[in-house]
Amino acid sequence: MRRLHAALAVLLAGSMLSLPGSALAQERTVKITGFGAKSGVVRVFGINSEAALKAAAEEINSKGGVTLGDGSKAKFTVDFLDDRCNAEEGISVMRRIASTDAFVAVGPTCSNVAESLFGILQKKVGDASDSGLQFPIIADVAAKGGLAKISEWAFRNVPSEFEMYKSLIAWIRKEHPSLKTMYGGVEKDFAHSNATYGVMKSQAEGSGLQVLGTSEWLLNDTTFSTQVRDMKRANADIVAISAHPFTTCGVLKEMARQGVKPKLLIGLTSSSSIETLQGCAKQAEGIIIPTSFAPVTPEAKLAADQVAKFGGSADLHSAAAYEIMFILKDVIESQKIMAKPDTVQADRNKMRAGLAALKETKGLLGKVGRTADREAIKPYLYVHAKDGSWQVLHKPTL
Amino acid sequence: MDLLDLIDAVQSVADGVLFGATYSLLGIGFTLIFGVMHKINLSYAAASIGAAYASLLVMSVVEAPAVLAFVAAAAAGGVIGGLVYLVGFRFIPLANPLATLMSTVGLLLLIDEIIVHATAGVPLSYPALFSDVIVQVGPFGLRGDLMFVFALGCVCMTLLLLLLYRTRLGLATRAVSQQATASLLCGISTTQVNVLTFVITGVVGGIAGAMTGAAIGMLSPLLSLPLTVKGLIVTVIGGLGSIPGAIIAGLIVGGLENAFQFFRGVSERDLYIMLLLFAFLVFRPGGIFAKSSGRD
Repeated sequence: MRRLHAALAVLLAGSMLSLPGSALAQERTVKITGFGAKSGVVRVFGINSEAALKAAAEEINSKGGVTLGDGSKAKFTVDFLDDRCNAEEGISVMRRIASTDAFVAVGPTCSNVAESLFGILQKKVGDASDSGLQFPIIADVAAKGGLAKISEWAFRNVPSEFEMYKSLIAWIRKEHPSLKTMYGGVEKDFAHSNATYGVMKSQAEGSGLQVLGTSEWLLNDTTFSTQVRDMKRANADIVAISAHPFTTCGVLKEMARQGVKPKLLIGLTSSSSIETLQGCAKQAEGIIIPTSFAPVTPEAKLAADQVAKFGGSADLHSAAAYEIMFILKDVIESQKIMAKPDTVQADRNKMRAGLAALKETKGLLGKVGRTADREAIKPYLYVHAKDGSWQVLHKPTL
Repeated sequence: MDLLDLIDAVQSVADGVLFGATYSLLGIGFTLIFGVMHKINLSYAAASIGAAYASLLVMSVVEAPAVLAFVAAAAAGGVIGGLVYLVGFRFIPLANPLATLMSTVGLLLLIDEIIVHATAGVPLSYPALFSDVIVQVGPFGLRGDLMFVFALGCVCMTLLLLLLYRTRLGLATRAVSQQATASLLCGISTTQVNVLTFVITGVVGGIAGAMTGAAIGMLSPLLSLPLTVKGLIVTVIGGLGSIPGAIIAGLIVGGLENAFQFFRGVSERDLYIMLLLFAFLVFRPGGIFAKSSGRD
């Protein structure tokens, strides 16, 4: 009996060794950890990002997975952690990820978290006097301008709102030359809304539009009558609202009540989402928003379907997460990342170097340029709310 | 200030006073529970918003006129109110004021997170009644939906006062509020009165939640915290335990909020409301209708 067992063991070992390398490698996995808000009022960002990361991982895995530095194949798995859109929790989550054998993280979803989080990273690569965390992070949602400048370990695949609004305002000036005045509305206590309104306003003024005034409100305000009354008195041709769906809808509903009907409405990138349509499709009718995602290419359509399968919705934020998985696959392969516990810091360095070396990546709407300060130059288009859905209005870069 | 500014200022205050009816109802809920149990239920506004969300669930299942949302919110509010009592008070040592305070903080966060998980934090449209109606009074326009909210708030307050002062239940409630031990000796079940107080305030809260949703036109978990703060401010300004005080304080806070917004802007608005709260705490801690001897 003992001999039989020994013979079986030898046979088993022999058969294992004789398996082709790929069959063995299929058991290897590379875990990509995403993080962002999965609780609190911006939970939807995290849900969509996680769904997009998982959808892209499945897409990559179905085509054989990723080739590691030793030539073996591995499948992606995705883990997603919640930072509650809170800077302290974001830093805590990041430190937790960095304590594992992860060599890159995708996130966060909130600009306030990114701003603080990037601050704990080493500012300049190779600076021995800087004890900051040496860990590459690539952000998918945090959209406030210029955040990647904070650290050479920080990367983003978010659209440039500066470019998008510059282009949109120029297009409006060209297509609607009769419109001369603009009035703004901004969610004053939200970093992204506030920063983007600055872009909208400066671009409008730069293009010759007269900005008649600005109404301000807070993220969780419930009444907007005073602000909209100011808007009504200004009687501007264009109203630009830089706010997230809840207050955008609140303001649009108040505008409808007070009979404020500007000739053109502009919205914040983040509001070109299903939330706005669920909250106030009727009042949002006609609002124009630049976005870096719409299901207008076969790749984008596929991504939208795949993300939906994982319980998310593809929008300009989650589409960026989807693209990131493919970027990571390319960098892992080009940098020959080993993804082994004993090569963790070397893999992190390779990942950072690989991401920094990128000049161009493949995006769902076309090629995405990379800047020297680790930001993306993404193709974009303008959508408008029409008949209860977002429809493409113009494709300036496609 | 020119005439147009003056008209806008008055209009803003009028809108605020009308919206303040929701604050009044929330203030009543806080004050009633405090009056009966001498406890602050910090989860009250979150439960009210939760009830409004529950009414949306009912509306998504049953095809019914928008007014049913208010009825459903009231019913859901009553159920949630009972549950809040069961979870946050029934088995918590009432002698320790911090224990119930913390349990209601926990419930606030719990209810909020349940809403967030159920809706992914996405704002949902809430049916409004008379949203297209604007009543012109000279240069002023009064929103139909806000007037409905105001009228509904007044009806609720009247019914609540009738319940408290014209029924045996109200008598029992007031008795427990004034002397719990004596009430017990008279055969009044304090537990029963406490449960009913939570259910009744839950019903009122459900209506307040629905009114808030209708006035804004949407529901969002973002509403819980600011409404909790507003409810507490109204309770303090109105006087802890004073229902007429809560009614008037709600309207005052609503009006002043818009007035400060108009004159000083959004960044200073809440500052003045908080200063008002401190002023009451220092100079009139018993609230608007407190007798001068209310100050210790």
